[in-house]
Amino acid sequence: MASISLKNIKKTYEDGVTVIEDLNLEIKDKEFVILVGPSGCGKSTTLRMIAGLEEITDGEMYIGDKLVNDVSPKNRDIAMVFQSYALYPHMNVYKNMAFGLKNRKVPKDIIDKKVHEAAKMLDIEQYLNRKPRALSGGQRQRVALGRAMVREPAVFLLDEPLSNLDAKLRTEMRSRISMLHKELQTTFVYVTHDQTEAMTMGDRIVVMKDGKIMQNDTPQMLYNHPQNMFVAGFIGSPQMNFIYCKIVRNTDGYYAQFENYNIKLPDRMNDALSLYTDKEVVLGIRPENIHLAKDTKKKSFEMYIDIAEMTGSDYYLYGKLGGKNIIANVPSNMQIKSDTTCSMLIDTDRLHIFDKVSENLICD
Amino acid sequence: MEKNMKKYFPIFLLPTLVSFVIVFFIPFVMGIYLSFTRFTTVENATWVGIENYIKAFTQDENFLNALWFTIKFTIVSVITINICAFLLALLLTRALKGTAFFRTVFFMPNLIGGIVLGYIWNLLINSILGIFGYDITYSADYGFWGLVFLLNWQLIGYMMVIYIASLQNIPSELNEAARIDGATPFSILRHITIPMVMPAVTICLFLTITNSFKLFDQNLALTGGAPARETSMLALDIFNTFYGRIGWQGVGQAKAVVFFIIVALISFIQLKITSRKEVEN
Repeated sequence: MASISLKNIKKTYEDGVTVIEDLNLEIKDKEFVILVGPSGCGKSTTLRMIAGLEEITDGEMYIGDKLVNDVSPKNRDIAMVFQSYALYPHMNVYKNMAFGLKNRKVPKDIIDKKVHEAAKMLDIEQYLNRKPRALSGGQRQRVALGRAMVREPAVFLLDEPLSNLDAKLRTEMRSRISMLHKELQTTFVYVTHDQTEAMTMGDRIVVMKDGKIMQNDTPQMLYNHPQNMFVAGFIGSPQMNFIYCKIVRNTDGYYAQFENYNIKLPDRMNDALSLYTDKEVVLGIRPENIHLAKDTKKKSFEMYIDIAEMTGSDYYLYGKLGGKNIIANVPSNMQIKSDTTCSMLIDTDRLHIFDKVSENLICD
Repeated sequence: MEKNMKKYFPIFLLPTLVSFVIVFFIPFVMGIYLSFTRFTTVENATWVGIENYIKAFTQDENFLNALWFTIKFTIVSVITINICAFLLALLLTRALKGTAFFRTVFFMPNLIGGIVLGYIWNLLINSILGIFGYDITYSADYGFWGLVFLLNWQLIGYMMVIYIASLQNIPSELNEAARIDGATPFSILRHITIPMVMPAVTICLFLTITNSFKLFDQNLALTGGAPARETSMLALDIFNTFYGRIGWQGVGQAKAVVFFIIVALISFIQLKITSRKEVEN
């Protein structure tokens, strides 16, 4: 059991490229933390530095209370699951799982017990004598998990473990890994570029971009209160609509104005918006916060629907508001056709307003 | 498409098949036939049964000596060449400066012809032994180790290139997973690296065994079999029997057949054993 602490971590590769400038991150014991971000954001590098596979250029890394900058991977009490599974192709499943314990000179009968226990938990007992090539992707993935489990490490590191699986299996493995975390009661650090995985699995999500942490919070907070446009756009599918508009002050409060539209902003935003009067800002609206207007009231607006995508429970409506492309997500209980015009309503309680230059949140 | 392939494949096969039959199969069968005859030319041959084979083993001590010398030579050089080539390959697949340069340097001896190599090393070895008043023909041991050294020098680079290609094929995650699994560098080498390069081991063993067994021009140029044919290897002995002793052409031919059977048998057994250890991905 262990916490992980990254203090002012810097990573520069031999060719002089700095991928991580100054990273600070605290991961509590038994926490399930997800590092998420687009490719090249430094999430895998961070994980590999925790594993000890990449040298830390500067800063301090602690696992538990131990400074591990110069500790080799085998002495860090960690286990890692790779995207490619990295199973030893010449060993059967049993030997793959036992290899780590054998290296640590664990007695044979204990190895045998642990391997069987883990295999049972992961439903791979019947494959113990098979070589990895005779297994399907999902089974290989479970062996990789099993190999990590038998060691009973203080920290589990998972590097995009589900990206090589098909959609159905991915959903299944997602819940399996969550269950595993619950049962093992260990610290999990999980890297992914898939925001659905991030949202569904983690206690806490660290969103990264260009080697920097953009936001570090619970899934609910990230979704409902994104701190900047990057996080707002990255988390949520379809992604948040961004509308460039001007803040105008009227007698009854602040309005967001763009083309012919005026949207009354809630009074709770007044203080924050006072600095932005007559300035351009970015309005963020999640697709599900644009509703179909039941009766054509004053506040509603007409939206031309270019494409109506039926996903089953919902419609994704791709349309135009003013000249701007926006997406709305509405329940599919009534039929909506492409190339029609609908009356829509924006839920102003759920608006996010961002600074146009810094892209940081002004208020929500 | 597939139907047409089935229909016309004999036509595409024919040129290769005809040349194979003319330049390999017919001479090979003729060779076997001639080993059972006393002959001066192919047409002037008298059937003598297995007399040539009996002669080769009983009346010609050079043959058994050459066979034994060749076996010893093959064992020693196969081991040394492969170990050195593998160690060099390990070294030159590390992220070190100048690896590309050294790979080229080590490969270069392989581009020099055997006879030339033999003469170069003859000069080099003799100039060193000359300091002590000896030369390479002084003792069969000198010739033996001279040949081992020469073939090592020639083949290590070649085998190294094959090992390098194979080492670079091992996914880096396997090494990383093993490091996390607590394996020491030696145990990674033993449990991960070597099993993963088994296909290369198969090829390199095959190439070194056959090259060592069939060594001829280097042998001719370095020692010429001296002293007293003690350092004659099988190929050189066959050559000397065929061209050097009048009336012994048939015996030379019989030795060549025996030689072929030995080489084929050893390589076949080796391929069987090592390919069983290969990893199928």
